[in-house]
Amino acid sequence: MENDAASGSILKKGWFKITGRFRLTRQARENIYGYLFVSPWIISLLVFTAYPTMASFYFSMTKYNVLNPPKWVGVTNFTTMFTNDPLYWPSVSNTIYYVLISVPLGVAFGLFLALLLNQNLKGIGFYRTAFYLPGLVPAVASTLLWMVLLNPRFGLVNELLSLLYIPKLGWLSSPTWSKPALILMSLWGTTGGTMLIFLAALKEIPQSLIEAAMMDGANSWHRFWVITIPMISTTIFFNLVMGIIGSFQVFASAYVASGTGGTAGPLNSILMYMLYLYRNAFRYFNMGYASAMALVMFIVLVLVTLALVRSSSAWVHYENANR
Amino acid sequence: MGQPKSSKHTFSRRDFLRLAGITGGAALLAACAPQAAPAPAEPTQASEPAKAEEKPTEQPAAPSAEQITISWWNQFSTDTCKEWFPKIIKLFEDDNPNIKVEFEITGGPPGGGDFAELLLARIAAGNPPDTCTLWDPPSGYGARGAMDAIDNYLVKAETAKADAFFPGVLASCQFKGKTYGLPASAGAGCMFINKKIFDELGVSAKREDFPKTWGDYRELSAKFVSWDGDVLIRGGGMPWTSPWLFSTWSQLNGGQIFDSKTVQYKIDSPQNEEWLQVWVDWLDQQYKGDLEKVSTSGVWDDIYGEAQFTKGNMAVTNSGAWACTDAVFEFDWEVVPFPTGPSGAKQMTSFWPNWFAMPKGGPHPDEAFLFVEHMTTDGWAVWYTEAIMDTPAWTGYPKDSVNKKLVEVVGQEQAIDIQNFYAEQLKSVSDMWTSPVEAFANDSMSQAIDAVLRKQATPAEALANAQKACQAKLEETMKTS
Repeated sequence: MENDAASGSILKKGWFKITGRFRLTRQARENIYGYLFVSPWIISLLVFTAYPTMASFYFSMTKYNVLNPPKWVGVTNFTTMFTNDPLYWPSVSNTIYYVLISVPLGVAFGLFLALLLNQNLKGIGFYRTAFYLPGLVPAVASTLLWMVLLNPRFGLVNELLSLLYIPKLGWLSSPTWSKPALILMSLWGTTGGTMLIFLAALKEIPQSLIEAAMMDGANSWHRFWVITIPMISTTIFFNLVMGIIGSFQVFASAYVASGTGGTAGPLNSILMYMLYLYRNAFRYFNMGYASAMALVMFIVLVLVTLALVRSSSAWVHYENANR
Repeated sequence: MGQPKSSKHTFSRRDFLRLAGITGGAALLAACAPQAAPAPAEPTQASEPAKAEEKPTEQPAAPSAEQITISWWNQFSTDTCKEWFPKIIKLFEDDNPNIKVEFEITGGPPGGGDFAELLLARIAAGNPPDTCTLWDPPSGYGARGAMDAIDNYLVKAETAKADAFFPGVLASCQFKGKTYGLPASAGAGCMFINKKIFDELGVSAKREDFPKTWGDYRELSAKFVSWDGDVLIRGGGMPWTSPWLFSTWSQLNGGQIFDSKTVQYKIDSPQNEEWLQVWVDWLDQQYKGDLEKVSTSGVWDDIYGEAQFTKGNMAVTNSGAWACTDAVFEFDWEVVPFPTGPSGAKQMTSFWPNWFAMPKGGPHPDEAFLFVEHMTTDGWAVWYTEAIMDTPAWTGYPKDSVNKKLVEVVGQEQAIDIQNFYAEQLKSVSDMWTSPVEAFANDSMSQAIDAVLRKQATPAEALANAQKACQAKLEETMKTS
């Protein structure tokens, strides 16, 4: 703290020194300027994230159609959701199916591609770019493209299957194959990003470890399982968490493939949780109910993430053991 | 530290950063300050003797003489729309030189985004557009207080009086005795037949010879259906392909989905069970009972995109008046009326309008109504004649006007015949688009019928579930409206 010897009486009180007049210390001034500089971000966090989140929590306990003031109903929305909505549990099961298959596949393919592309060959940059590019295609455009590719009669995918003597599949016209169709779309779009993150992690693995293992006679599978996987376990953990959060919120592909009304795919087979939430909010004027669905989704995601974090102590290896 | 104090203060880098931080923070705080909601009924530029009131259920004032700009939101996006709507709006602006219309033909609201989402948000926020075109009935919005009632405007209107519209079509804008919008187009439904396929199989393609009952229609359909293994290569009739026609099919069999007179759902009636059973039997007999095989073989509904009818692989399809000029068929075609079911006594048609409405809280309701009036009367008559043959809902359109594009396609004589056909059909329209929970009910019916046709539920079970859900939703909405 500064001590102005030239002043009169001095009283140091943390941020203030009183030398006949109120004056902030240099440290205090710098703190305030710091807060001012980050204030845009703080304000946007409060206005665009915190406030809507709190508002949504409130609306989840109300009957609210956006156009009229909300009316408090307590837990009615939740009891309706869990006991009296014939489409709620199908939307949950569709989403869980999607998550349980798309996330592990996405992580596995991403790692597989990263391993393939983790080589210093001429032109490898082109392939890395090519695999990443699908991730830049907007979700709507990507879905429309895949709807053409997956056309049961003339789509390229069924043509390729018929070359392999596999019967043509109904894809989005089939209640059995519509979710796998969405998963295929998702893999095409997201694997590139996952691959890139894994690639960065693979590059960080010390070559000395690999060489030491080779000298000890470890084969490639051994090296992969005992060295590579533990060394990139933090990245696997990250991709798992982000993948789960993202796939629980799948919306765009289901929306484009099924539209806003009618059935979401044959027998509502692609009625995903977020699509059903959207319909309740903006098609059925039931924002209160949709907010309740959002709150449930939030709680589930928090619990799943917490569970993953707790489990990570068993399989995620950090370089700094004390973390 | 230890810097000598100069008598002359210089603007240091620290001073600059300090000033930038303070200025930026202050600007952001000022921008985030809540703005006063615009007073919809008292715009500062209005200076007329009788100012427009917030609720135009009172006497509407004369429009302002000062230059007013009104906004129109819509979801149109085709090249025809981009060509003709500006011209139609120019006619309105020429007649009303003090009113300018701000609009885009980009498929959604200005700036992009989901139309319904943004419209609701703007209405809730108190800064909606002056007018909008809806593809869902205004009755649902009106029931929730989202649209202005315009009955007092209709009384004083020049052309858009309440009795100047087809009554059944206007009913789609009404809820509890108030009118919340106007239909521009009636969009009469019908079936299209491929005359080439009919001729090939030696079946008369004349409109008067087309079956009048479902039984005869089903028999006719069987003649056209053709499979190659598990691939359907030619379809006959598939009445289940158009969800928007469900209420019409129900009424053609003497049943009903929603009774607007008693404001009740009547989904689980014996007539509706019979209707669905007819469809199940039809699917079983002609399409192997397997909707998935049918869906996998191609697109069998309507006339857009990869529709098999447009490709010449389907004998009969469901659509509406707009399809006469929307689609390009490589074969001769005819329009025919819907046949009646075994329990039905009255032939009728469906309709699917473009609705024009005024969101509640719009800043210029008087001027907005003038625009709505123009677009639903004279303006739509121009659209009908010059652009798409989407029959006006306004009965005052010039009856001697014929859609030019239709004349190019089928010739003057047939164009007049088709036009007269639709005008006649509109005299007997089914009761539809009148429920305040229309979207929910349509989805429930689609899901019920999908479950029945895919053998996951019997007609009785599916209709009972839909009835329960729709009636509950209706009662909940009626309580709060």
